[in-house]
Amino acid sequence: MTALIEAPQSSEPPATRTRTQARSAAWKRRAPLLPALLFTIAVTQVPFLVTVFYSFQSWNMVRPGSQHFVGFDNYVDVFTDSVFLQALGNTVTITVVCVLVAMLLGLGLALLLDRKFLGRGIVRTLLITPFLILPAAGALLWKTTMFDPSYGLLNWAFGIEVEWLSDYPLAAVMTQIVWQWTPFMMLLILAGLQAQSREVLEAAQVDGAGRWRTFVSITLPQLSRYLQLAVLLGAIYIVNSFDAIYLMTQGGPGTASTNLPYYIYQRAFEGFDVGQSSAMGVVVVAMTLIVATFALRLMFRAFDVSRGVK
Amino acid sequence: MTARTNRLGRSALTGLTWLVALLFVFPVIWMVVTSFKHEVDAATDPPTFAFAPTLEQFTTILDRGFLPYLANSAFVTVLSTALVLLLGVPAAYALSLAPVKQTSNALGFFLSTKMLPIVAAIIPLYIISQNLGMLDNVWALIVLYAGMNLPLAVWMMRSFFLEVPTEMIEAARVDGAKLPTVLYRVILPVVAPGIAATALICVIFSWTEFFYAVNLTAAQAGTVPVFLVGFITSEGLFWAQLSAAALLASLPVMIVGWIAQNHLVRGLSMGAVK
Amino acid sequence: MAQVAYAGASRVYPGAHSVRAVDGLDLCIGDGEFLVLVGPSGSGKSTALRMAAGLEDVDEGSISIGDRDVTHLPPKDRDIAMVFQSYALYPHMSVRENMAFSLKLRGMSKSEVNAKVEEAAELLDLTKYLDRKPKALSGGQRQRVAMGRAIVREPSVFLMDEPLSNLDAKLRVETRANIAALQRRLGTTTIYVTHDQVEAMTMGDRVAVLRDGVLQQCASPRELYDTPRNVFVAGFIGSPAMNLLTLPVDGDGVKLGELKVQLPVRVEPGEVTVGIRPETLSLVGAAEDGFELQVELVEELGADAYVHGTLAGHADKIVVRADGRTPPRLGEAVRVAVRDTGEVHVFDPESGLRIGAE
Repeated sequence: MTALIEAPQSSEPPATRTRTQARSAAWKRRAPLLPALLFTIAVTQVPFLVTVFYSFQSWNMVRPGSQHFVGFDNYVDVFTDSVFLQALGNTVTITVVCVLVAMLLGLGLALLLDRKFLGRGIVRTLLITPFLILPAAGALLWKTTMFDPSYGLLNWAFGIEVEWLSDYPLAAVMTQIVWQWTPFMMLLILAGLQAQSREVLEAAQVDGAGRWRTFVSITLPQLSRYLQLAVLLGAIYIVNSFDAIYLMTQGGPGTASTNLPYYIYQRAFEGFDVGQSSAMGVVVVAMTLIVATFALRLMFRAFDVSRGVK
Repeated sequence: MTARTNRLGRSALTGLTWLVALLFVFPVIWMVVTSFKHEVDAATDPPTFAFAPTLEQFTTILDRGFLPYLANSAFVTVLSTALVLLLGVPAAYALSLAPVKQTSNALGFFLSTKMLPIVAAIIPLYIISQNLGMLDNVWALIVLYAGMNLPLAVWMMRSFFLEVPTEMIEAARVDGAKLPTVLYRVILPVVAPGIAATALICVIFSWTEFFYAVNLTAAQAGTVPVFLVGFITSEGLFWAQLSAAALLASLPVMIVGWIAQNHLVRGLSMGAVK
Repeated sequence: MAQVAYAGASRVYPGAHSVRAVDGLDLCIGDGEFLVLVGPSGSGKSTALRMAAGLEDVDEGSISIGDRDVTHLPPKDRDIAMVFQSYALYPHMSVRENMAFSLKLRGMSKSEVNAKVEEAAELLDLTKYLDRKPKALSGGQRQRVAMGRAIVREPSVFLMDEPLSNLDAKLRVETRANIAALQRRLGTTTIYVTHDQVEAMTMGDRVAVLRDGVLQQCASPRELYDTPRNVFVAGFIGSPAMNLLTLPVDGDGVKLGELKVQLPVRVEPGEVTVGIRPETLSLVGAAEDGFELQVELVEELGADAYVHGTLAGHADKIVVRADGRTPPRLGEAVRVAVRDTGEVHVFDPESGLRIGAE
């Protein structure tokens, strides 16, 4: 009991001790984060900053000593380059169409899989396989065994004679990308479907909602977070699509199926123009960030929702 | 609706599901079939369905020096995934179970790096690698793949860590465990399935990565996708060989993915929502 | 000797509107005592317990265990064991490993660990389940493992945070008795947090009632029941709750309808809050002294029935305990009398404090 009476006298020093302790504790908590943070900065941010630096230089790798500062010249060139603008348009088309189509197909497949039936496990295994195939292998296989004008399965199956890769290069590339990414979308959406509360669905049934009504009013809203994530992740990877174009069409015929990653690659590794390809890289990042800001905001809202539920 | 038509409808739906699945996966099935053909049967009009199977293509692929590429892929995939886990687990812990202010900023930063198109960094990476003598070097790929997968991995693992009940961690602290003990003997065993799922996704993305591999490596450090680029000019002449190469190149990650598909679903969805 | 003493201990959550979750708590728990911290949700009872565990910072004041000031010690150095509401068992460890974990961390030899774990398992009737994972246990068994994990350490203090709230009603009553018996047998100082006042009354040597982070009263269960220090304690302890009515003073008493109730203490003219427990009231015949109650709800519990109704001309509800065999009917008017005016509690309506408290 004496301790009880003495205690208040010593309450001042501990209070200050707590403050310094709190500060060091906060650092201790941050410490585990630092290696990953520094590593990520070193591997992704620093090269990007160097890209920004290069974008203000005129520099052709095959002409040593050609490097000098040119201000915004490269950016002016980039925006007056009709191929760049075409590549930009193709990138947008590929991303939007592929994400949407893959998501719709994924949703359809997920709905087919979201019930018990004979061989469900095998069907799911089959369906995820395109995601596990090397994209490079997938692209080459589609180019040859599927799209080849003389021996391809598509022309044989439909009894037609179409030069898929030269007549519809963009569509052919997108077909391959959609094929590759649909399983990913399907898996995500399937997870969302299976995370639905049975009771809520039953409540809807008891309330007299039919199947379609239940799907639209209950299932889709519950899926929205999964769909958002599917769109976001799908877009991040599909914007960067390179394998399919490089291996199937080489951006051609002409520049008909060139997208930004492929064009930048061409300018850098075939044209050796460091300055201009860097400027294009910076432009791509700027545009991605603008789009991503909206996407990120959406996603953080999703976070908050789940936090609130927890 | 009678029970009979109901059952009929269900079987029809099952049949449809199977049909769609088989159609969807047909390019893969065709790849497998073609890889066992002689070249003369591979590219024909109409396609050949009956043929004498052969392993000739697989031996040819191995003779063309496939194994070193496979070894490079395995090495790069395993080590970059290990590096991701080594860096990512503590980071995910800090972001979930011991959050401080600015945590969500750090999280946002990790996510935003994922938005950075890799083309935007390839030129300096190429030049830096060249100056360091790291071109065509597996270690360069290991570091880059780790950088590529780390943000997604941190984000996924954070969601798994958030699932760990705080009371359990407190119980361990009361039981006398210090932070490393809490982390390795209490938290990690509980989140092990989540970490496995994360690792699996890193493995898939590392194994299938094309852009860095093609631009930064060649004969020495080339990974499996680089080997496949050799077929780009084959123009319908070596389809059977191409199929065999594609099959061999995809098989490891296909098998891993099939076996661990439940983890995959869990991993993706957890990263998604929680 | 391990008494636990809170000395002006506060937990303040910083922020624009800083919240004093526990505010200047002064409480001394004697060696071997079973103290129950009780209060509604948000009263700070769990926070107070977690401060003793070292899981919450002590922002002001201090806490000592035995003769050591533990205010800034980490949990592992406090010689305490805690039982959590969710049990917080390690899901990847067997029952044996769960109980052995803390002992192993202390570097105890294998044989010693085994002996202690088995002894605890024996005590809790867990021997059969030692090699099972928590997943394969029932709720009651899990609860016992959580107890076992605390017992094996032979700590100087047990801290229990609503350890029974995840059990079904029947098991809860049974386990309640077991825990109390176990504590008496081990003689370990125990702080037990609950929101269930029946648990508080049946288990504690003393019960501390908290509200909004402030200690309202700490006393034996009987004392809390008989002489609640203020209106809050009066209303919180006892089920159904005490009837509390604020009435004008009429001479040396108050008027409940036609009934003049003599107050056991002297009061100033003005208003007072009177508290009458349902069991202090009884139904009487129409001819006897009493007040009229309009019956609105009858809760039949078998042995007893609780009659809820309103006093004519008064908004407050009044609950009366009646015989379970002959309860009045809904809508009926009944006559109610006070059995013993000595059991009527009187409080100051302004401060809520008991009048005539010693």
